[in-house]
Amino acid sequence: MDPLRWTVLAAGAASLTALAFRARWATAFGGPKVSAPARGSAGRGIAYALGRGLLPWEKESARRHLATYIGGIIYHTGVFCAFVVLGAIVAGISLPRPLIFLLRVGLAAGFASGLGLLVKRAALPLARALSRFGDYAANFLVDIFVALALAAALDPRPTIPFMALSVILFLYIPLGKIRHCLFFFRSRIKFGRLLGRRGVLPPGAASAN
Amino acid sequence: MPEIKTIKKSWAERLADLPPDRLKTAIQTLADIIDAPSADGLESCVRCGLCADSCHYFLDDRDLRNIPAAKLNLVIRVFRGQVAGSGRTRRAAPGLDAAAIREWADALYGRCTLCGRCMVNCTMGIQIPTVIRKGRAVLASLDLIPDGLDSTVALARETGNTMGITREDWVETTAWLEEDLRAETSDPSIRLPMDASGVDFLYAVNPREPKFYPLTLTAAAKLFHAAGRSWTLSSKAFDVTNYAYFIGDDALAARFAARLREAMDELNVKTLVLSECGHGFASNRWEAAAWLSEKIGRDVRSVLEVVAEDIREGRIRLDPGRNPKTYTLHDPCQLVRMGGVIEEQREILRHSVRQFVEMTPNRKDNYCCGGGGGQLSMSLYAPRRKSAGRIKAEQIARTKAQVVASPCHNCLDQLAELNKHYKLGVDIKSVLEIAAEALFPK
Repeated sequence: MDPLRWTVLAAGAASLTALAFRARWATAFGGPKVSAPARGSAGRGIAYALGRGLLPWEKESARRHLATYIGGIIYHTGVFCAFVVLGAIVAGISLPRPLIFLLRVGLAAGFASGLGLLVKRAALPLARALSRFGDYAANFLVDIFVALALAAALDPRPTIPFMALSVILFLYIPLGKIRHCLFFFRSRIKFGRLLGRRGVLPPGAASAN
Repeated sequence: MPEIKTIKKSWAERLADLPPDRLKTAIQTLADIIDAPSADGLESCVRCGLCADSCHYFLDDRDLRNIPAAKLNLVIRVFRGQVAGSGRTRRAAPGLDAAAIREWADALYGRCTLCGRCMVNCTMGIQIPTVIRKGRAVLASLDLIPDGLDSTVALARETGNTMGITREDWVETTAWLEEDLRAETSDPSIRLPMDASGVDFLYAVNPREPKFYPLTLTAAAKLFHAAGRSWTLSSKAFDVTNYAYFIGDDALAARFAARLREAMDELNVKTLVLSECGHGFASNRWEAAAWLSEKIGRDVRSVLEVVAEDIREGRIRLDPGRNPKTYTLHDPCQLVRMGGVIEEQREILRHSVRQFVEMTPNRKDNYCCGGGGGQLSMSLYAPRRKSAGRIKAEQIARTKAQVVASPCHNCLDQLAELNKHYKLGVDIKSVLEIAAEALFPK
C-alpha cells in the first residue's frame, strides 16, 4: 500500500479516536441517575427518533421546508457515497459497474445539493444570521470532498487530490461542526428516550390508559 | 398575603452592582450544571434554521432573535469557548459580560416559554428547553432572575406557595368552599377533606384555585365525590406549581417538590394527584424523582388520569347534553408535549360535551399559548407575550368554538388575556369544570 493510503487510514483512525474521546467527554457531564417511573417505552421512543420520526410527514419543520430537507438528505447521501469511493480506493477494491453508476449519481446529486445549501446559507437572511464561519467552512470542505470523490469515481486515476483532501477532512471532523455526525445520533437517542419514557413518542403511544 | 421581608433592587441595578469576578463564577456554574444530554445538544446544532417556524415568538414577528437556534447559540458560544475550549481558545472566546447577560436574559427568559415545540421539530432532536433552563440557571446563580418571576419564586420559598396564601387562609377557604358545595349540591356528605390520613390520594392544587378559581377546586371535589374516591388535601403543602423549574434552579425545585412528598408521608398516602397544571405535572411527575434522587418511584398522577379512569370504569356518569355549546381544547405544553398526558382530557371532554372540535395542529404539535415558562410573572415581557399569543388566538378562532377548555391554570390565565386582547368572544374553562357541569345526577 502506498504512503498516501496509509496517511488516509491514519487520519481516519485519528478522527475516530478523537470522536471517541469527544463522546467520552460529553458523557462525563453526567445526568440524572434516577428517573421517574416510565409512562411509555424508551425503546419505542428511540426507535421512532432514529426511524419514522425522521420522515418529513412526521415533522412540521421538515414538511414546511421540504426542499431544504430533501436537499439535506441528498447531500448526506452524497457524503456517504464519497466515503464508499474513498474506502474502495484505500482498500484497492474495484467496485462493480452498476454500483459505480449509482455512486456517480449519488455523488453528483450530493454535490449539487451541498452547493445549493451553501448558497442558501449565504443568501437567505435567516440562514445567514444563524451561520458562523465554521458552517461555511464545513460545507465548503465537504462539497469539495464530494466533488473530488465524483472525479475519482469517473476516472480512478486522479485520486491524489481526493486522498489528500480526505486527510484534511478526517482531521477537521472532530474539531468543527462535522462532528455532528457523532452527536446527531447521541442527541436523537436521548430525545427519543426522554419522550418515549413519557409516552409522547411515538405519536399515538399515549392512548388513555 | 405575607410580606416579603427584603426589598430587592431591580434587575438592572443588580446587574450594575455585579462585581466582575462574579461573572467568572457564572462560567463555572454553566460548566457545573451542563449534563450529558445538554452537552450533546450543544455539540449537535448545525444552525440549519428549520426550528424557526416551530416557535410562536418567531411566527409572530419574524425577529431573528426568536429563532430557537439563535437562543441556543447564545449558550453554545459561551459553552464551546469557555467550557469546552482550553487555554488560548478560552481567552479569545466570548464570555459573559454585562451586554451578554442582557442578551441572555432577553432571549432565554423573554423569548421562550420552554414549550419544547422546537425540540420535537429539531432535526437533531436537541433538548432545547433543557439547555434554555441551564442558561436561565446561570442567570439565577447571579441573582439575575427577571423581576416578577424572581418575586414569585421568593414568595414560594418563603410562604410555601406562589400566591403567598397562609395556612390559616387555606384551611378557612376550603372550609367555606365545602359549605358552599354542600349548599349547592344539597348533599351534606360532600367534602373537601383536610389532612385525612390513609386515603387513596393527596390532591395538590394550583394556588390560583383557592385564590381566583374556586370553581375548579369544587369541580374536582364533585367528581371525586361522585366516583366515591377517598382523598385529602394537606393543610401544610398544597401547591402543585414549581416556579424554581422555570429558573433552572434544581436544588430549589427539589425543596419545593419535597414539600408534597413530605405531606404524602405524613398523611400516609401513596399517591399524589396533581390538579390541572402543566409545569406542575412535568416537575412533580417527571423531574422531581431526579431532583430528589428517589430510589423508589412515587405514584404521581394527573387529575385527568384519575377522572378519565373513573369515566372508563363507570364510577361517574356524564351527560354531554348539559354542555351543548361547541368546545375546543388547548393542549398545555408541559402536560402534553413534555408530559405525555395527551388523550385523557379528550376522553373526558368527549363524555362531557355535545360538540368537540380539535385545534389544528394539536397534541404534541400544538402551539404554546404563550403563558408558559414563567412568562405570566414577568411584566417586562408582557407585550411580547400577548403579541406571540396571536398564533394561539388565530388557532382558536379557526375552530369557531364557543368554549376553550384547558387543563392548566397558567394557560387559562393567558387564554383569558388573549380572549380579551384579540376579542375572541369565547368562554375559557378548565376541563374539570366542564366535566363537573356534565355530572349526572348532578
